[in-house]
Amino acid sequence: MKLVHRNLVRNGPGSVKLVPEEEDDLWHAYNLIAIGDNLQAVTVRKVLREVASGGRDAERVKLKLEIVVESVDYDKEGSVLRVRGKNITENDHVKIGQFHTLELELKRPFVLRKEIWDWLALETIQQACDPAASADLAVILMQEGLAHLFLIGRSITATRARIETSIPRKHGPAIAGYETALKKFFEHVLQALLKHIDFEVVQCVVIASPGFTKDQFRDYLFLEAARRDLRVIIENKQRLVLAHATSGYKHSLKEVLDTPGVMALIKDTKAAQEVRALQDFFNMLTNDPARACYGPKHVAIAHEQYAAVQTLLITDTLFRNADIATRQKYVNLVEGVKKSNATVHIFSSMHVSGEQLAQLTGIAAILRFPLPQLDDIEM
Amino acid sequence: MPRKVVSGPDYDDEYDDYDEYDDDDYDEYDETEYGNNHPVNMGKESLKKSSSTVPVHWTCSMCTFSNHESMVYCEMCGVFRETFVKSAKDGLLKDAAVAVSSEPRTSAASKTDSAKTPVKIRSLDSDGDSARKHASMSYDKANSMQLTSAGSSLGAEKKKKTPVLSEVPVERIALLASDDFQPKGNQSGGASSSSQNDNVIQKLSSDLGQLNVDKNNVNVTKPCLSEEYKPEKWMLADPESGVLSQLNLAIVGHVDSGKSTLSGRLLHLLGRISKKDMHKNEKESKEKGKGSFAFAWAMDESSEERERGVTMTVAVAYLETKKFRVVLLDSPGHKDFVPNMISGATQADAAILVVDASTGSFEAGMDGEGGKGVGQTKEHAQLVRSFGVEQLVVAVNKMDAVVYAKERFDFIKLQLGSFLRSCNFKDSAITWIPLSAVENQNLINAPSDARLTSWYQGFCLLDAIDSLQLPSRDVSKPLILPICDVIKSQSTGQWAAYGKLETGAIQNGSKVLVLPSGQEATVKTIQRDSNSCTIARAGDNVAICLQGIDGSQLIPGGVLCHPRFPVAVANHLELKVLVLDITTPILVGSQVEFHIHHVKEAARVTKIIALLDKTGKPSKSAPRFLKSKQNALIQVTLDGAVCVQEFSKSRALGRAYLRSSGRTIAVGVVNQIIVQDQN
Repeated sequence: MKLVHRNLVRNGPGSVKLVPEEEDDLWHAYNLIAIGDNLQAVTVRKVLREVASGGRDAERVKLKLEIVVESVDYDKEGSVLRVRGKNITENDHVKIGQFHTLELELKRPFVLRKEIWDWLALETIQQACDPAASADLAVILMQEGLAHLFLIGRSITATRARIETSIPRKHGPAIAGYETALKKFFEHVLQALLKHIDFEVVQCVVIASPGFTKDQFRDYLFLEAARRDLRVIIENKQRLVLAHATSGYKHSLKEVLDTPGVMALIKDTKAAQEVRALQDFFNMLTNDPARACYGPKHVAIAHEQYAAVQTLLITDTLFRNADIATRQKYVNLVEGVKKSNATVHIFSSMHVSGEQLAQLTGIAAILRFPLPQLDDIEM
Repeated sequence: MPRKVVSGPDYDDEYDDYDEYDDDDYDEYDETEYGNNHPVNMGKESLKKSSSTVPVHWTCSMCTFSNHESMVYCEMCGVFRETFVKSAKDGLLKDAAVAVSSEPRTSAASKTDSAKTPVKIRSLDSDGDSARKHASMSYDKANSMQLTSAGSSLGAEKKKKTPVLSEVPVERIALLASDDFQPKGNQSGGASSSSQNDNVIQKLSSDLGQLNVDKNNVNVTKPCLSEEYKPEKWMLADPESGVLSQLNLAIVGHVDSGKSTLSGRLLHLLGRISKKDMHKNEKESKEKGKGSFAFAWAMDESSEERERGVTMTVAVAYLETKKFRVVLLDSPGHKDFVPNMISGATQADAAILVVDASTGSFEAGMDGEGGKGVGQTKEHAQLVRSFGVEQLVVAVNKMDAVVYAKERFDFIKLQLGSFLRSCNFKDSAITWIPLSAVENQNLINAPSDARLTSWYQGFCLLDAIDSLQLPSRDVSKPLILPICDVIKSQSTGQWAAYGKLETGAIQNGSKVLVLPSGQEATVKTIQRDSNSCTIARAGDNVAICLQGIDGSQLIPGGVLCHPRFPVAVANHLELKVLVLDITTPILVGSQVEFHIHHVKEAARVTKIIALLDKTGKPSKSAPRFLKSKQNALIQVTLDGAVCVQEFSKSRALGRAYLRSSGRTIAVGVVNQIIVQDQN
């Protein structure tokens, strides 16, 4: 994200002008834009006009519109952000109060005006504009008959392809059927790889699977690359990394990110930190259940009554709440926890670890000291 | 095996509950509690009579399923209990039976006894409505598991208004019966009885006459069930002429314990592998420098498996013993392929657990590599037990590596024996056999090596297989065949579904429903070990060629069933689970791989309803998480729908396994299928 212009007061009103540059940036924008904010951008609208003869004439006009945001919609496959709201700029074509949907795309600047810029919003901007922390990693997660292709960015994990074929068991003379089915399956994965992975952007490709499927696939890949002269693969051979996973389902992705080899590649990125923090939480829950808690109520009590929170894990979904009071509540909680010298991890709900945390109510904490009494409080 | 060996007391205790997941009396234990607390009011006299005696089961005259005392109809097939029917005849439950059979019948039977009935019902019309509502509501809540909660609410009702007494059980029977046989037909029972009004009385009384006629027959079986399944004659004709019955035998064990070699050797010794093939395998394996794999190659046919020397998917082979036609399911031992092992070997009736006797290998099989975690000897043993396998042959392989030492054999027997007991295998159902597959000791003949004969005189492996008991087969129930594998036949180009018939029977020309796609197809041919046959019955492992269906509709993990008795396809289930040894606790939202018969699907735990204590009563509701060896009631949501049945209705489709991070974290049974609301 490029910050073009900034004019704001901390915890007060103001506006920023931003240009999203990567797919991740749209995700950040999605987290930034809240209902009730003003958003200005260039857009195209179909306008109907009455011609003198009485007929009607449709025309597409390019306009600069400012709207009061009523809903935000993030399309993770197409990487577009659609913001719907009521127009507040006076112009020839669109009346004030008429609805319009702005589409934010890459490389298109927009101006966001907020009544209150809290620290969370500012931090999001800062993070989004930091060019260093990008880790573009592709992961092919497979098991016999099922493969997923993921692109892992700084704060989003996008599922680019899902390949599912049924592979028969070996059956005496029908063994050939098994081999051809497997070949066909690998071919589909290879096509997905060629289609979705751009080696200019992606630093490395991790192939992960249980058993030997990954080795088989890599062999197949190299063989086919040599046979068909696929330069992209031949030139980037050393950027293919193998890792172990226990299944081909999406939730195994966190095991892949957790393996030392892959961890080294994505060391300082958010994804890696999140995986580690969540793992710590689970370890604590296993070894000392009284020192780990989850659920908004438990965490709030642990913080407010005992100031016991050592590490707070929270997903960004909770901040995207339509209800401003609820958002404020979480913002205050996080701020309070930060003040008490605790670590806060804000998980991106687009990563696997964030998804898993969202399943656990979206908020969890590791405590400084055991609080067994939490067990007695209703969730 | 000396029985004095005692495992750790706590370990043993906790596994007692495991019992409940597999044993036959499993179905009843809920009723036991509830039933005892609230003796059911209906048919009071007849029940009291028998409940004073100690055994609390009655056997269904139709399917011989042993039901709990409090049930008035068979849980398996819905046949009414004779004593109950009799008591109905005695007039105690006249209208009960009538409402049950309240489907329109036009027979103009005599109006005997009708004088009493209309009076009763009229009075009910005024105040019985609320009672009815009450009963059906509480039924909905409690659902089939807690049948008797309706009974308890009935008790409360009874205090208030006695005349209602006989009305409520009527409602219950109607509801239960319809629920059992048409899973979604809950309303039909309710509707039929709530639509009772004055002019129905006429019909009721005529039905009463009908019932009186019925009682002359011995089998007063179908009062309410137009949908009841009647096995046809060809299905039942079982005492076959000289054909051996089929036994599905899984071979399980830790990686490199010699499962495939043992299977290959058995096949070879029984003449199932031609000389030419054997010679080829020997030559090729020598070329690869893996001479000892020659027999394993008979099972491991794919190039990948041969190259790595590891079985990856379950191989199927057929052989005949004196008593059985055995289907060998040679499963992979490597921990990454446990999912394959589960989907391939769930159909097993019995299992051979192969243990590597050589120093260090046995220990790795028990405690995992480097002594941490769980080895596959343990994991597989737990899994096969949860497949419902009760009989186990433990083959202590590679005895040649430890010079046939008795000490080693006894040590293994001691160690593994206590573990198996904790898995709830009975000592009497375990056979221990020392053998060596490579040196051909004790496989199909008594051993010849003096070092072994000096202390071992028991069974050889083949005799041990013959000594296994065949589990009972449910031929009289509707057809269920979980599809294990789908193959396109090379010659005919038709699609064939492989699998084991769990219940029912099938013959050429039978119509079957293919789930989850919901298409009907016709059976063209049935093959058993590549020989065609005309009829297959429960327990048989067959390939079924289907006509009238596209290959894409036929998927492994699907189910072939009777067109009128489809199994449920659902993605939201309530499970009763036993948590195994785990390191990461199970939380609400935990993501797991869900295995059931031959399907696997990603799933997550959506709710932990309650912890269960040993008797199966909820001890703590909504716990924060589950730890090792706890029993619990949980809800899971699957990413995709699978074919499933409640455990009480179908064993095979009701056993589920949860895995995560490459380990089996819980085994359990489907307690209830939760009907999804549309959003």
